[in-house]
Amino acid sequence: MDGLTPRWRTSLIWAWTAVIVVFMYLPGLCLLLASLTSSRYFVFPINKWGVAWWEKTFSSLEIHQLFKTSITIALCVTVIAVVIALFGALAFARYDWKGRSIYQKIVLLPIFFPQSVLGLALLLWFNALGLTMSWQTAVFAHLVWIIPVCTLVISIQVYSFDPALEEAAFDLGATRWQVFKEVTLPVLFPGIFSGALFAFLLSWGNFPLSLYTTGADTTIPEYLYAKMVAGYTPGVPVLGTVSTVGAAALLLIGYGLILILRRRRASAPSDT
Amino acid sequence: MNGRSPILQLHNLTKTFGSFTAVKGISLDISEGEFFTIVGPSGSGKTTLLRMLTGMESATSGDILLRGARINDLPANKRPTCMVFQSLALFPHRTVGQNIEFSQKIKGVEPAKRKARALQLMAQLRLPENYYDKSVTKCSGGERQRVALARALAYDPDILFFDEPLSAIDYKLRKTLEKELKDIHRETGKTFIYITHSLEEAMVMSDRIGVMRSGQLVQVGSPQQIYSSPGTKFVSEFIGDVNVIGVRATATTGVHAAEFGVDFVTQPVPAGFGEGHLVVRPESLRFLGSRSEAQNCLEGRVYNEYVLGSRIQYQVRVGEHVFIVEKLRQQAFAGSLDDQVLIGWDAKDSILVTD
Repeated sequence: MDGLTPRWRTSLIWAWTAVIVVFMYLPGLCLLLASLTSSRYFVFPINKWGVAWWEKTFSSLEIHQLFKTSITIALCVTVIAVVIALFGALAFARYDWKGRSIYQKIVLLPIFFPQSVLGLALLLWFNALGLTMSWQTAVFAHLVWIIPVCTLVISIQVYSFDPALEEAAFDLGATRWQVFKEVTLPVLFPGIFSGALFAFLLSWGNFPLSLYTTGADTTIPEYLYAKMVAGYTPGVPVLGTVSTVGAAALLLIGYGLILILRRRRASAPSDT
Repeated sequence: MNGRSPILQLHNLTKTFGSFTAVKGISLDISEGEFFTIVGPSGSGKTTLLRMLTGMESATSGDILLRGARINDLPANKRPTCMVFQSLALFPHRTVGQNIEFSQKIKGVEPAKRKARALQLMAQLRLPENYYDKSVTKCSGGERQRVALARALAYDPDILFFDEPLSAIDYKLRKTLEKELKDIHRETGKTFIYITHSLEEAMVMSDRIGVMRSGQLVQVGSPQQIYSSPGTKFVSEFIGDVNVIGVRATATTGVHAAEFGVDFVTQPVPAGFGEGHLVVRPESLRFLGSRSEAQNCLEGRVYNEYVLGSRIQYQVRVGEHVFIVEKLRQQAFAGSLDDQVLIGWDAKDSILVTD
């Protein structure tokens, strides 16, 4: 780096950053472009532009059903995962107990399982238990993988939590439940909120676990895959784009909410 | 202090963690309205002792009596006591007002009443009224101290505990807050129990001080008593810079220092005092013109000087032994470094302590 002037150095850093950003976001852009064709097949570069497939996709009852299934699964997963992960995270990061170190490893391990294998294993289990595959079994399958992730996300917030806050509230006359409601929960809320976003989005985009465990029900990622294997229409990139943009929008809204919350806390009027 | 009834009594209070005994059989009476400070180095068990008194830690054996009633098994949220934490533990998601009102909200006091109380406490602690709606995370260090104190006072406790709340504050502000705290103690008339590792801090504020070492109270007394007659070498050294000489009693008012091969005149030697230490404070040492100017005298060399604002300290070496001599700026040593000097002190400044 000795021969480089600071200006060159800065330019190189920016150029490198730009290459990485293009590398990450260009495929998404291609997806959008592929959806904006009026031809039946995927031809690149596009010669006939149009939004016909967008209209078709949005009016399709089948697509409505896909959204309903995907959202239902993701919402169920979010609610259950956040409740379990919050208490899991308190055990993970707040309390010091015998066996905590082993617990931490066991909880995190499922994150690294190959999901296709995990999906198969769950399918075998559900079969052995005599369950019929449906969106409900998929919720459980998602939870096996998402609870560990959610626990980890909330734990990060718990690590920065001063246990003296709980002691202080208890010392000031609060019951255990009041301590949890008035101090622990609100102080940890940003972490819980992030955990919920993670849970929802990871469930929303999950393919390998759903593939094995949804049975007759179909989620958006499953549908996309099926259509790619047989029966491609530009409806596929439309749905892909909607699914991606929807997830991104949810993240942005979540981020916005956190910002508003922080600002409100900074200049909060006294609630009663 | 005398004549007032004890508000808190400890009988043989002990706490063990596995095979480690953190607090060893402490017995102590603390009077109503007293400012009592427990001083000790880290690991001396003072925090464990305090946590037992607040109810956050259970005692292994012994009794804690509050106005004569045993409160060992009363959890912290049922005890009429309150603690100001080392980290202050202010609720970061709440405003100054909400922090102060927390205990009253828990009790179900109506909003208007608790706001009035909060504003009254804020005025008493010199927090501006418009801070009521300010986020605690935006307050300065000194302001946060006051909010934490106000929050504890709003609970209206019989005893207020302090777990080194000033330890993370810079020197100048700490000195101001120490005096403020003592003023608040006078105004409220409540019993304050304070723990710190700084004897200097304890001296400024306390009615009585208890010095802890290895889980035991080694000395209890007024700041004056601790300062002028520390019972042990540990306590005397804890106060600050002191000169310590190993001695053996030889007469009713005399000891022999083998290190220098000389005898020193002291205050009457306590009965049973055999081997021990002679403690001389830096401000008791004087530079002498001749040997006849003081009862005890040593010859040494000025090695270095340290300016401490209004006072100056000199390091004087007598052989290998380092002595600290402290003078007011107006009475500064007239010579220069490496001068041969006579240093001396009188029998009344010879404090005898055991190990």
